[in-house]
Formats: sequence, C-alpha cells, structure tokens
Amino acid sequence: MKKLSLMILFVAVTAMSFGQISATLHNFVGDSWNTMSSNKSCGPCHTPHNALVSTDAPLWSHAATANAGSFAVYTNTGTLNAIVGQPSGVSLKCLGCHDGSVNLNAHVGGANTASLIGSVNAAADLGTDLSNDHPISFTYDAALATADGGLFDPTTTVSGLGGNINVDLLAGVGNDQMECSSCHDPHGVTGVSDLLRKDNTNSELCLTCHNK
Amino acid sequence: MLQTAIIQEYRYLNLVNKKIMNIKFVVFLFIFTVFQSSLFSQSIINSPHNLSVSGEGQTKALGESGICIFCHTTHNSNPEHPMWNKKTPGLNYILYNSSTIQAIPGQPDGSSILCLSCHDGTIALGSVLSKKNEIDFSEGIKSFKHSKNNLTTDLSDDHIISFFYNSTLAYTDGELKDPLNLTHPVSLENGKVQCTTCHNPHNNTFGNFLVTSTEYSELCLSCHDKKYWGESAHRNSLAQWNGSGQNPWVNSKYTSVAENACENCHKPHSAGGHKRLMKYNTEENNCLDCHNGNVASQNIQIQLNKPYSHNVYKYYKSHDANENALVTKMHVECEDCHNPHATRKFDADAPFVKGFNEGTKGINQNGNQVNPVQYEYEICYRCHADSPNKPIGTISRQIEQNNVRLEFAPTNPSFHPVAGPGNNPNVPSLILPYSVSSIIYCTDCHSSNGKNSPSGPHGSIYPHILKYNYSTADNTRESYQAYELCYQCHNRNSVISKQPNEFQSEIHNKHIVEENTACSVCHDSHGISGLQGNSVNNSNLINFDTNIVSPVNGILKFEDTGLFRGTCYLSCHGVIHNPKSYN
Repeated sequence: MKKLSLMILFVAVTAMSFGQISATLHNFVGDSWNTMSSNKSCGPCHTPHNALVSTDAPLWSHAATANAGSFAVYTNTGTLNAIVGQPSGVSLKCLGCHDGSVNLNAHVGGANTASLIGSVNAAADLGTDLSNDHPISFTYDAALATADGGLFDPTTTVSGLGGNINVDLLAGVGNDQMECSSCHDPHGVTGVSDLLRKDNTNSELCLTCHNK
Repeated sequence: MLQTAIIQEYRYLNLVNKKIMNIKFVVFLFIFTVFQSSLFSQSIINSPHNLSVSGEGQTKALGESGICIFCHTTHNSNPEHPMWNKKTPGLNYILYNSSTIQAIPGQPDGSSILCLSCHDGTIALGSVLSKKNEIDFSEGIKSFKHSKNNLTTDLSDDHIISFFYNSTLAYTDGELKDPLNLTHPVSLENGKVQCTTCHNPHNNTFGNFLVTSTEYSELCLSCHDKKYWGESAHRNSLAQWNGSGQNPWVNSKYTSVAENACENCHKPHSAGGHKRLMKYNTEENNCLDCHNGNVASQNIQIQLNKPYSHNVYKYYKSHDANENALVTKMHVECEDCHNPHATRKFDADAPFVKGFNEGTKGINQNGNQVNPVQYEYEICYRCHADSPNKPIGTISRQIEQNNVRLEFAPTNPSFHPVAGPGNNPNVPSLILPYSVSSIIYCTDCHSSNGKNSPSGPHGSIYPHILKYNYSTADNTRESYQAYELCYQCHNRNSVISKQPNEFQSEIHNKHIVEENTACSVCHDSHGISGLQGNSVNNSNLINFDTNIVSPVNGILKFEDTGLFRGTCYLSCHGVIHNPKSYN
C-alpha cells in the first residue's frame, strides 16, 4: 500500500505542476498601457483592496464589459442541444477585456487610457459577435450529454486533470457551466500554449468533452 | 455506464473492505479503461478523418498533432456553425441531372459545401483559418489523391445533394419514401439532403463514414422505395462471383447479389454513367458485369455475341429511362425489355409477362401505352409495331405489313395466336399440349438458339433471332432441320403425310416435299392484318412470297372454299394455276 500511495502522490504532483503567469500571454508587466507603479502583474485583474466585485473571480479589479446582455451568441438549430445564454459568470470577467469594449487599463488604480485589446493583440479581440466562437455560458450536464449523443457525461468522465470533467473544467455553483475557464486557465499551465487548461496535442482538450 | 456502476458499488463498501479492495480496484479500473478504449476504436482518432500526424490513414499531416483543427476552430470560425475552420469553395459545380429526376438540383450549400472544402480538391487540405501558414501534408500533397475522396467540382457523377426532400417530392417521384417517415440515422438538414444525410464525418463504424450499413442497401432504401424491389432477383439472389474475369464488386465487402443490392449497378459517387449513377457509362456493361456467366446462372453475353441479336452494343446513350413506351428512335438496351428493379424468376403462361420482364412498359393490342405491361408481346410492340423506325421484314409479300400489332390482331382473317387464341378450329398437326385454343409467346419462336440457352430473344445463330432453323429460301429440300421451328408445334408427319385426304397430299406433301417449296412461300407466319386482307383470300396465313410466286393474267390470289378446300390463281416454278382447286 505504501508504494501505491507514493505512486499516486507522484502522479498527482506531476499533474499539478502549474506554471508561472510570467511565462504566459497574460504577463502584463512590460506592456506600455500598464502604467501602475506596483502590482503590475496582478493589478489589471485583481486588487487586494477595494475590489469591484468578488463573485465568479476573486478580488476583481477590472471594469466590466459594456456589452453584457447584448452579445451575439453561437446558435445552431440543427445539431446544438445546449441552450446557449448571454455570457455570464466568469466569462463576463474575461470579456471585460476580450470584447474590445473597455480599456485594458480600466481597473482599480489603472489610468483608463486608450488601450483596447485590439490595438495590442487583434486575435484576442473576440468583439461582441460570439456566434463564431465556441459556445459558452450553457449548462453541460449528464442530460445534455445524453441528448447530444456526441458529448461525454461530465459527471462520470475523467478530465485528465485529476477528477471528472464537471469538477475540473466546469464553473458555477453546481459545477455544470461551460465557460471560457473550461478551456482556458488565465494564469497558464506550464508547457501548454494559448493559456489552455490542458495540452491540446492530438486535440485532447477538445476530445475531453467531445465524444467523436 | 459500467464504470459508474462500479464506482457506486465501491462507495457502499465498508472501510476495511475498501483497503483490501483498493489494489484490486485500481488494477481492474486500469484494465477496464484500456478495454473500453478498444471498444471505442471507431472514434475519429482511428478513422481516416484524423488527418493529424497521428492519423492511421494514407492522407496525413507532417507535424500537426491537432485532430479537430482540420475542420473546426474554437474562435473566429466561418461559418459559425459548425465552428468551421476552412475557406468556403466557390460555387461553380457541375450538378447532377437526369431525365428522371424530380428534385430541383442546386449548388451545394449547408454542411455539404463544408465537406467540399476538402473533398472537391480546390482548397488545400492544410489550409485552415486558424493558421497563417498552411499545414504541411506528407508527400507534399494538397488534396486527396484518390477520386473516391476527391469528388472534384464535377458533381454530375455523384448523388444529388442540397435539395429539398419533402412530401411533395416523394409524391411526384413516386419511388421515394415520404421524408416525414424517415427513420434514424438518416436525417435531413433544414429539410434538405446533404452529405450528412448519408455520412457522419465523426463516425466510421460502417466504413466510408456512412450513417448505417449498406448491406442489402439498407442506407439507400432509407429513402428510395423502388417499385417491385422487394420481390426482385437483384434484391434476393444469393448468387456469388465465381472468381472468373473481373470481380463485379471490387470495392465492396459483400459477396452476393442480395447483399450488394443497389450497388450491383449503381455507385453513389464518381459513377461511370453519371445519369442515374450507373456504375458504367456503357449501358449494357452494368448488366453484363454479372450476366456474363460469372455471377448469374445464365450467360447473356454469349447470346448477345451471336450473329443475330438484339444488339445492345450497337447503341450508346440512345435509350432514356424516361422515354415513351413507343420507341421513336431505334435502339435496344437491356432496360428496354427488363426492369432491373423488378426482374425475377417467375414463370407464367402466355400471354402473361414472365418475371424476367415484369415492371416494364409497353404498347397494348389497341396501340395504347401501358406501364407496366400485362402481356409479354406488349414489350415487343414498343419497337416492332407502331414505331416509325421499326425493323422491316426480309420477305416480299403480296400484302406488306411490318407492324406486328396489326399482324397479330385477333380480328384478323388469320394469325398466329400471340394476342389471343387463333380463329381456325381445325389444325390437325398441333402437337400436345398445343391446341387450337392455345396462346403462344413471341419468344416461343424468337429466342436464343441452343438447348440450354436462356429464354428470350437475346441472340441466335438463326436470322430473326429464331430459336430454331426456319428455311425460307426457294428449293429448300424438306427435312426436320429445314423447318425445325415450325415442327416444334406442328407435327412433321402430319404436315408432310399424303394422308388422310387428297387435299393434304396435293397441298403440303406435293409442295413442301416434292417441289422443295418452303413453308414461307405461301404462309406469312405472323398473320395478315384485317385492314389489308380478308377471310376468303387470307385464311390459313396465306400471303404469298412475291419473289417466288407471281400473278397469272394479272391475278395472284388464294380463295378459301371451305374446310380443307381452296383455289389458287398464280404462277410458280413455271407452273400455272389458273385456277387450281384443292378439294
């Protein structure tokens, strides 16, 4: 039993080798729009004091998107079984920068000067039309998996990150919401590109949920 | 599911048991997971649609490991659904069309145009929206190498797509199921048939990414509801290829006619014949692929190679499945007499059509088009009756008529009993089971020669595709062989005997045996139309061969003067009957 426990511990430690945000696209320290004198790394998103809101993301400091409730969402009457709502929860936090409606430095202690994301990284600007992006903010549960037929049951299928899909990848109080954070870890994972939560070699991230 | 059950079970175990169970459980779960992954071997990962470097197919990328990326992207997709990652091809496709199609063909749309963004060969396989640089493929290829995968922009040889399939279409076509009754897994996309109706690009369980099995053409028959098909030999025959010549099912995993069903003759993609998706461009090759002695029990090809035949080789693209029953442009193809969806082994009595020719169209005795035919001769009437380009006879007759429908009319003064029983109650030569009330088929006389030849007028060594020899030349020495055709029904002894009366002796024995006169010199085998002849001069099929028999004093005629009695006015072999009476 001792050997087995050690082995499990080793596997767990290996799997939990999170990276440093400094090595990711979310390292804002050297960016010209980032004129804070301190807390340059975390400040654009988080603040230890006077946080704007702390639901969905802790100690949130960045201004909210101007487009909440008016995004064009992914629709497909033919094969989509999920009911896709307006972006909500943690996804709205991401869109505070990634819809290009609010300056990057519009945050607690920030200068709020012209610094829309499109001017820094055009590909990261999703705009308000999310109909050509993977759907988010929908309930992904066992019932959806059954109805769709091409999705794994998130409550019984392992994610490859230690637990089942719902615990490891889904957001919300019921661990049943597909959000930006289902695929992306804003702080990055060592060795994984595009701020993905899991390496997508062999489309493994896609095929974590999609049973194709 | 099983994994869930095991985990549930595990939760109910008490703590002590759990410790003991731990190792066993972990080992079991590991083995089971490996086993389960082999169960899911039909995942896209193991399919030819895995174009990544890990793909098992021939077409694969050199370095790209992503599998979904060749079709899908999570951001900035176009079109949005289904998150497409390829450029849209142009819309300059050559579309499928045919004279029998009821659907309205349109340029590919919906998911079909997405499939074509790889499968028409115009956009490089590695060209995806989410990558600035094209993904390199092994051997430097840009598109699928084989025509099976590269449909090109000529879709005229592929099953029609991107058309509305609704109840109206089903009704108009008459051989399509009402789409309201379509059963899973075949499905429409916004009311249209698209590639995805037959193919599921993520699931290769049935091969070719088909949504269901093609055994017995299950997939095709999800929509197609061909008349007669259920009873057809092509639906039910267990015949297999004997290994000689070319395998007719070279691209199929099935080995019998029944299993291959539609695909015995049709190909859903890159069909040689384009129209109606026939396998081969040359019509008869679709039939002779099997009817050449290598699959079907009878070798029709051998018959068609005989000197006198319904020469299907002579015509190319003359036949049209939608043509009228009345053939106006002279031609013959297998489908003129056979309906491959209906044909079957089923015997019948004259004049009713046999199973081989069931479900074909024809012209009835009144000259009207019928579909399907009830009587076999109605098929022959398509070309040999009112057709403007019908074949003409080779014997010059006193009364000329090449329209066999008129020759066989049961109201005629005399006729062979094809369209109805004969009108002569005294035919003593008939061999049982024939009687004066018998009806015979055209194919009783016109058929392939040879003892074990297949029935039907495919080909013969004798002129007019006759089943037996029938000499018509003057000065033919009488023998069984000379008039073998006639002697099948008419007893030779009875015909040439001098008994039982003077009439018999003076007429048949005298002319046929002593004067070497062929039957056809006096008798016109089909019949004499009532529009031209009459019951006095043209009873008993009398219609003289004018190359041999000539008028005397301007008169050439036979007069029926009663039972076994008659008078002739003619000159023949230098002998003048002016008149000569037989009593």
